[in-house]
Amino acid sequence: MIYLLLLAGVFMGWSLGTNDAANAFGTAVATGVVKYRHAIWIIAVLVVIGAFLAGENNIGKVAELSTSNEVTASEEAVKNAIANGTVEELRLKSALKAAIIFICAGVTVFIMSCLEFPVSANQSITGAIIGWGLFYADYSDPAILAVNLPQIEKFAMTWVINPVGAAIISFVLVKLVHKFLEKRLTSLAHYDTMIRIGYLGAGAFASYSIGMNSSANVTALYYDPFFETTGVAANLLTSAQVTAVIGGIAIALGVLTYSKKVMMTVGSSIAPLNQIEGFVVIIGMALTIVIMGNWMGIPVSTSQAVVGAVIGAGLTKGAKNVRFGVLKRIAVAWVSSPTVAGVMAYLVAWITSGYFG
Amino acid sequence: MGIFSKSNTAKVHTLILEQIKDVEGCLVSFSNFTKAAVDHGTSIETLRALAESVYQMEGAADRSLRAMIESLNNVAYLPATRSELIDVASKCDKIANKCEHVAEMMVLQKFRFPKEYTEEILKIMAITQKEFSVLVTAIGKLFSRFDELLKDHAILDEIRDLESEVDEIEMDLYERIYAQKNDLAERMQLANFVELVCDVSDIIEDIADRIQIMLITRKA
Repeated sequence: MIYLLLLAGVFMGWSLGTNDAANAFGTAVATGVVKYRHAIWIIAVLVVIGAFLAGENNIGKVAELSTSNEVTASEEAVKNAIANGTVEELRLKSALKAAIIFICAGVTVFIMSCLEFPVSANQSITGAIIGWGLFYADYSDPAILAVNLPQIEKFAMTWVINPVGAAIISFVLVKLVHKFLEKRLTSLAHYDTMIRIGYLGAGAFASYSIGMNSSANVTALYYDPFFETTGVAANLLTSAQVTAVIGGIAIALGVLTYSKKVMMTVGSSIAPLNQIEGFVVIIGMALTIVIMGNWMGIPVSTSQAVVGAVIGAGLTKGAKNVRFGVLKRIAVAWVSSPTVAGVMAYLVAWITSGYFG
Repeated sequence: MGIFSKSNTAKVHTLILEQIKDVEGCLVSFSNFTKAAVDHGTSIETLRALAESVYQMEGAADRSLRAMIESLNNVAYLPATRSELIDVASKCDKIANKCEHVAEMMVLQKFRFPKEYTEEILKIMAITQKEFSVLVTAIGKLFSRFDELLKDHAILDEIRDLESEVDEIEMDLYERIYAQKNDLAERMQLANFVELVCDVSDIIEDIADRIQIMLITRKA
């Protein structure tokens, strides 16, 4: 029965899949370059591959953040539970806390989406973890602060570095394409073949990067990072790789079952870019996610990366092409979604402190 | 699916060029017909025979268009490109349709251009033929020097310049026609045929505009 709590994470992964799939293949599907049924299978397979091959690193980082914020039980707490014979209770509490975090993040995503703000599910989850930690973790403890502060700093830095990095990468890629690729397109057939290959390659790469980046967020809270040292399962999952793969499968399920509507919407909204810029933006987004994931060591927002990449492509034709007014609304959403999730998690932590405290 | 098949796209290329050749043939036949229609010494039988040749070429252009559209079924082009190619080819077909229509009407109404307009009508036909040959080059470049066309739209501007020349002659003709003192119905009939002949040039310009849109949407 305890494994039913995993459904909250699977649901989070499912909703991520319904949304993030659009970033990988939205334009390609909306413009008929790739058929919808081909796109969803490519995404589903590559998300799981990305999670399997490279999701493990982010699982560790999210688990570290959730442990220091008292969502996941610390090694000391596990050892105490072993000594007291309360491991099963600890396991249940850890899984419950994980489910609460996902519900807080999920409700935030729902509210923000209703308000038509471009929301980041990844950042809402991180915001909820930190919100929970602000109630339970002793932030006056230098040891806690030493772990949490750099994570929070990194988290805030991604608001700027992620979209700016994506914009720079996308700007450079569009310029390179313009300089080196365009003159090689000697016929319409060449152009179309390049567009098709470009979208397939970019979409596949983006799907891989989403699997690598986001799978951690949807299942890492169910992962027990101390299983190898304690030998006791204090949470639902004990293998980082399996945890990542379950996250990847959850995302893939979202892609396969309910992604068409969002995919078409995102596809149309990026339509002002031409077809070459369309797939270059996707490559820019995916490259940014991979680089940020490796450099910053935390899952980043794919929505922020795609917005940054679109801006970068737009800037190649001059600043007049970018609607900076829209950016204000996006910036508000970026800050408010993790904040709302954090406040919600803090309140739930306070309400349930009689049980978890 | 033949995503990377070269032969499929080459076949479409060949069929489009064949269709354009048929349209060009129709335009040449129409030009011969018009030359005969301004020559009052030509018998009505000769005119009918020349008109018949226009109809035949129009029929050939229609068949080529259908073959080209069918060839797009299993080809590597993207859906948007397929629809653009069909649009360009259909507009080319309109040129042949227009030629056929004008020839039909002139034969039915036993219409002849008055001698004083001979020079202008022949000039319009010559410019229109030149305009079409530039268009043929531009369409050919879509399949062989697409990069050049992306960089430089001068060839399309040339088509627009030629169309403007036709426009100027057309306006001048209207002025002269309506300045005449003869029957209004006669003047309107004459003006109508001038307009129909000049429509061919407008259609060619429309195709050039369509090609320019294709280029603009693809420019990085």
